[in-house]
Amino acid sequence: MATSLKNMKAAVLGLAAAAALALPAVAADDWPSKRLTIIVPYSAGGATDVLARQVAELLGNDLDETVTVENRPGAGATLGTTQAAIARPDGYTLFMGQVSSHGIAPAVYKNLQYDPIEDFSPVTLLISIPNVMVVNQESSATSVAEFITMARDGGMTFGSSGVGSSIHLSGEMFKSRTGLELTHVPFRGSGEAVPALLAGDVDVMFDNLPSAIPHIQSGALRALAVTTPEPAEALPEVGTLSESGIDGLEGFAARSWFGILVQDDVDPGIVAKLSDALNRVIATPEFEAFAETRGAQIEGGTPQAFASFIDEELEKWRVVVDEAGVSVE
Amino acid sequence: MDALLQGLELFLSVENFVAIAIGVAVGVIVGSIPGLTATMAVALALPFTFGLDPVTSILLLVGIYKGGVYGGSITAILVKAPGTPAAACSVLDGYPLAQSGKAGKALKMALYASCTADLVSNLALIFLAGTIASFALQFGAPEYFWLICFSLTVVISISGTSLLKGLVSGLLGLLVSTVGLDLVYGTQRFTFDNFNLMSGVSYIPLLIGLFALPEVIDFYLRKAKPLAVRGADASRVSWPEFRRCLPTILRGSGIGVAIGAIPGAGATAAAFLSYGEAKRTSKRRENFGKGEIEGVAAAESGNNGVAGATLIPLLSLGIPGDVVTAVILGAFMLHGLTPGPLMFEQNLDMIYAIFVGILFSSVVLLIAGSVAIRQFVRIADVPPHILLPVVLLFCVFGSYAVQNQMFDILVMFAFGIVGFIMMRIGMAAAPFLIGFILGPLFEDNLRRSFLISDDLGVFLRSPICWIFIALTVFSLIVGLRREYQMRRTAKAVEADS
Repeated sequence: MATSLKNMKAAVLGLAAAAALALPAVAADDWPSKRLTIIVPYSAGGATDVLARQVAELLGNDLDETVTVENRPGAGATLGTTQAAIARPDGYTLFMGQVSSHGIAPAVYKNLQYDPIEDFSPVTLLISIPNVMVVNQESSATSVAEFITMARDGGMTFGSSGVGSSIHLSGEMFKSRTGLELTHVPFRGSGEAVPALLAGDVDVMFDNLPSAIPHIQSGALRALAVTTPEPAEALPEVGTLSESGIDGLEGFAARSWFGILVQDDVDPGIVAKLSDALNRVIATPEFEAFAETRGAQIEGGTPQAFASFIDEELEKWRVVVDEAGVSVE
Repeated sequence: MDALLQGLELFLSVENFVAIAIGVAVGVIVGSIPGLTATMAVALALPFTFGLDPVTSILLLVGIYKGGVYGGSITAILVKAPGTPAAACSVLDGYPLAQSGKAGKALKMALYASCTADLVSNLALIFLAGTIASFALQFGAPEYFWLICFSLTVVISISGTSLLKGLVSGLLGLLVSTVGLDLVYGTQRFTFDNFNLMSGVSYIPLLIGLFALPEVIDFYLRKAKPLAVRGADASRVSWPEFRRCLPTILRGSGIGVAIGAIPGAGATAAAFLSYGEAKRTSKRRENFGKGEIEGVAAAESGNNGVAGATLIPLLSLGIPGDVVTAVILGAFMLHGLTPGPLMFEQNLDMIYAIFVGILFSSVVLLIAGSVAIRQFVRIADVPPHILLPVVLLFCVFGSYAVQNQMFDILVMFAFGIVGFIMMRIGMAAAPFLIGFILGPLFEDNLRRSFLISDDLGVFLRSPICWIFIALTVFSLIVGLRREYQMRRTAKAVEADS
C-alpha cells in the first residue's frame, strides 16, 4: 500500500511537472482562450478608467474575447499596481500603467511594494496627454517670459491636483529649471484646482490639457505654453516651454501617458501578440475619435520602445522629485 | 425662442423617454444597495452611451444619478444601512419611524421631499445657472473654510441625548479623517506603514460599519428577542403633514442648491445642514431623532436639492463639482461637446433639450420611487432573523464592491464594533460621520488659505467670509441655548414625574 501511494505521488508530481513545462509553450499559441482583465488602479469614472473601458471594448473586438475592467483604487494608485504586479503571469491580467505608477510614484514613495522594472513587462504605450501652462485671463502675463519676470518678485502660487501628480511635478520641474520661488497649493483633483485658478486664488497651473482646454477656448484661461517638446495638436497656436527661449527650459518634457503592461514572467510570445493587437486597436477610427476628443496623442510602438520610454520617465521624475524634495517616507 | 423649440423637438423622442426611465429606475435600485453608489452606476453606464445620441446619453446618466441620490434613503430608513453617505442623515428619523411600524410613511415623505427638492434644484439650474455659478466661483479656500465651520455646528443638533458625547463623537470622526497622506506634504499619518491606509479610511465601509452593523450585532447579542412579524405597512403621508413639512422641504432644497453649486462640497453636508436648520426652527424639535417626519423631509430635501445644482458649475463653467459630474463631463466630451459658456452659444438647442429632460426626470423619479417603495416596504415585514443575515451579507458585499479590496471589509467590521460600542454608551454616530466627511475639507481649506496668503486677513477677505462667520456664531449661540433649555425642561419633567 505504501509503495502504491508513493508511486501515485511520483506519478502526480511527474504529471504536474510535465504540465508546468508544457504550459508556456502552449500558452502563446492558444492565447487568448478566456476572458482578459485590465486592472485600473483608479476608481471607476476617472480618466484612466474611461480609457481602459474604451481599450477593453476595442481589444475585445480584436481578440474576439471578453475584456473586462477591474478598478482597484487606493493609495495614489500604488495599491492597484501592487496587485497587478503579483497577479498570475498568464497574460490574462493586464495593467493600465500611467505616468504615476511607472514614472512618478517610484520616485515619490520610498516604501513602494512593487518594482516598476522588475515586476512588469511593458507591452504598448497607448496615448500621451500634454500638460499646459495656464494663467487667468486677467493675468498680465501673456508669455512665459513675462510670467517669469512677474514671478521674480515672489509671492506667486501654482495649483495642482495633489502632491505627486504630474500637474504638481510639472510645476516643480518648471521651478527648478527657472530657479523661481513658487508656492505649491495642492487641491484634490483638477476639478477643484481649476476654479481656484479661475477665481485668481492661484496664479498658474500646469494642468492636463483635456481639463484646461474648455477654459482656454472660452477665454477664461490663457495658455502660455505646452509642456511637451512638440506643440499639441489640439492647441497648434500655443508654443512649447522647450522652445520658449528661456534659459533652463530647453528640452522641457512633461506629460501624462498611459500604456498596457503585464507581469514580468509573461511569455514573450504573448507579449508580442498582445502588443500587435493593441497597436491595431489604437489605429481604429473609434479610438482615434476617442483620443481626439481628449486632446490625447496616439503613441503605439513595440514593447522594447515602451520599456526604454519607461526607463527615461523613471529617471526624469526621480531628478525632479529629488530636487523638489517631495517624497513620502 | 427658436432654440427652445428646437430643443423641445430634440428632446421629444422615444429614446429620451426610455433613457430617463431606465436611468432613474437603475439609479434607485443601485442607490438603495449599500456600497453601490450613484457614482459607480454612472461610471459603469458610461460605455453604454458610446453609441447613443448626446442628449440621450446625458439624460441616461443624469437619470441614474438622480435615482441613485434618492435610492440611498430607502435602505437607510428600512434597515439603517444608508445606501449613500448623504442618506445617513435620513437614518436619524427615518429608522425610528420604520421601527415604530411607519416605514411606509417615512419612505413616502422621503420620496415627496426628494422630488420637490429635485424640482427646485432643476428650476434653479435652468433659470439661475449663470448667477449661481458666478457666486460659486467666489468660494475660495477661506470662504470654504468658514462654510465648513458653519456646517460643523450642526453637530449640536444631531448629538442626541448628550451634547458632550456628540462632541466626542464628532472629534473622533475628525481624528479618523486624518488617516492617510497629508494633503500638502504627503506625510503619512496614522497609516502604521499599511498601504491600504495611505489614501485614508474609505468612507463607504466606515458608513456601513457605523450605522448598519451595530443593529446586526445587537440583534445577535440579544438572541432571545421574539420574532417580530408585522402586518403590511400602509401608513401614508397626509396632506396636512406634507403642508407642515413644506417650508422645511423648500428650505432644504435651497440649502441643497447652494451647496451643490459649490464644487466639492457635497450632498452629505447639505443633508445635515438642512436637518440642523429644521431642528433649530421646528416647533417639534424635541421629537427630532425619535421619529419625526419633518426630520426625514429635511434630510432628503437637502440631499436631493444638490443633484440638479451640481450640474450648474458643469454646464455653465465646464467645472465638474464631484466625481459624478466628472463622468458626465466625460460623456459630453465623448460626443465632441464641451460644456461651458461656449456650449450655450453653439449648442443652445441641446442645452434646452437636456433641461426639458431633466425637468421630466423629476416626474419619473416620483413614479419610479412610488413603485420601488411598494416593493421595498415589504422588507420592513421580514422577520429580523431572516432579514439581518441578508443585511450582513450586503454590508460585506457593499464594502468590498467599492474598491474590490478585502481590507475594506475589515474596516467595515472594525467600525461596526466602534459603532456598537457607541450605541451601547448612548453616543450618536451621526456627528462621527460629519466629523469624518467634513474634517478633510476643514483642514485642506485652512491650510490652503495659509498657502495662498501669508496674511491672516485672508480669512476676512470677502463678504461671504463675514456672512459665514456670523452664521457660525449665531448657530453656535442659538443651538447651545436651545439644547440647554431642552435639557432643563426634560429634567424638570423628570423631576415632576
